Amino acid sequence: MSRLRRWGVLLGAFLVVGLVGWWGLPRLRPHVFHGMVMQSPERAPDFTLTDHTGRSVSLHDFRGKLVLLYFGYTFCPDVCPTTMAELAKAMDLLGKKADQVQVIMISVDPARDTPEKLAEYVTHFHPSFLGLTGTPDEIAQIAALYGIFYEKQEGTEATGYLVNHTATVTVIDRKGYVRLIFPFGTSAEAIADDLAYLLR
Amino acid sequence: MVDSLAHVPGGHLLNGRGLLYGLVALVAGGILAFATLQPVKVMPRVRLAPGFLLVDQDGQRLTSEDLRGQIVLYSFLYTRCHSPDCDYIIETLRTVQDRLAEMDLGDTPVTLITISFDPERDTPDVLRAYAQSVGADPQRWRFATGDPKRLKYIIGGGFEVYYKANEDGTFTFDPTFILVDGWGIIRAEYRYQTLVPDTERILRHIGVVLKEVRNSKGAARFAYEAAHLFLCYAH
Repeated sequence: MSRLRRWGVLLGAFLVVGLVGWWGLPRLRPHVFHGMVMQSPERAPDFTLTDHTGRSVSLHDFRGKLVLLYFGYTFCPDVCPTTMAELAKAMDLLGKKADQVQVIMISVDPARDTPEKLAEYVTHFHPSFLGLTGTPDEIAQIAALYGIFYEKQEGTEATGYLVNHTATVTVIDRKGYVRLIFPFGTSAEAIADDLAYLLR
Repeated sequence: MVDSLAHVPGGHLLNGRGLLYGLVALVAGGILAFATLQPVKVMPRVRLAPGFLLVDQDGQRLTSEDLRGQIVLYSFLYTRCHSPDCDYIIETLRTVQDRLAEMDLGDTPVTLITISFDPERDTPDVLRAYAQSVGADPQRWRFATGDPKRLKYIIGGGFEVYYKANEDGTFTFDPTFILVDGWGIIRAEYRYQTLVPDTERILRHIGVVLKEVRNSKGAARFAYEAAHLFLCYAH
């Protein structure tokens, strides 16, 4: 082997390793989630409620899809529309993969959130979003299980009463386990990034 | 230099494939070393702790949202309980309270909350008197109760602790401690006695969670998330 050829081989080797490293290392690195990762050894608590079309739906109906669970209400002045808009944007960012994601908003104000109101509200953000409601007791029980606290609070005459509530988004994976918690204020990009990874 | 290496056995390592294998071996070795040596230990994120609204021994509202950012050790009993189980719960909590007072907890508050599942008899006044009688430091250890139906959702449903009222006014229940982090996520449950006393395990686990809160920022967060990924769990 000539000296020149050997140098050529060496240079080629460095190029190959460099390219493979440049392409492969970011892929070898485990995905760092934006949301808080859970390692639940048990499935997320199941529930059955009424959706915004009046149909009875259960969490297990969505096995095989990622479920993003949010607790809110249609009269919510600020926090809920912000979150719902970010979730809608995350759906757009996911493109075709969005078919495998179901966003569900459970009403913490069942007295005012009729199925009709919910239908108008959730589909305004995204046609695939589902709004669920039930009896105050059913909702209290489900909310408690998902770490959600809520209570009525006096509002102004224009808004009526408000409902203070925990504003996190819970991600349930395709097998039915709670996988991620997004705090309020997580961006659509961050949410889409994590969901795309879970759907890889 | 290159010349001489290319002629010795093993000189083939200098070709591209050798270097690639080396790189892969290095990464695989690194992952293996991390997973086996477990330089960072964490407590698993078991499940969500329930959301709640309770009333404490001073008649103040106590919600799960008020406790965000705090590490909380939950326990459950009724104050008229005189069984060895209740003595054990109180003794354990008292020891944890005293030992926490000597530990460096940094900026993270660590709180003990004992929830009574007998709201009919355990009014705030009764809880306050009971707290004093067992030597609870009101800054650290709070007692609370709430609406009976909601309590069932919170204690039975959320914390998965069994309790049942008996006809003679006593309760049958499973003594349990539950450790929850500042995110409202259950990090450890103490339902069975092991060779290591509960006080020791609880204090060690509080230490592990505190360390994670303190250290998992910036680049170190990566190591902590990797520890969760590779199940480097503290015992």
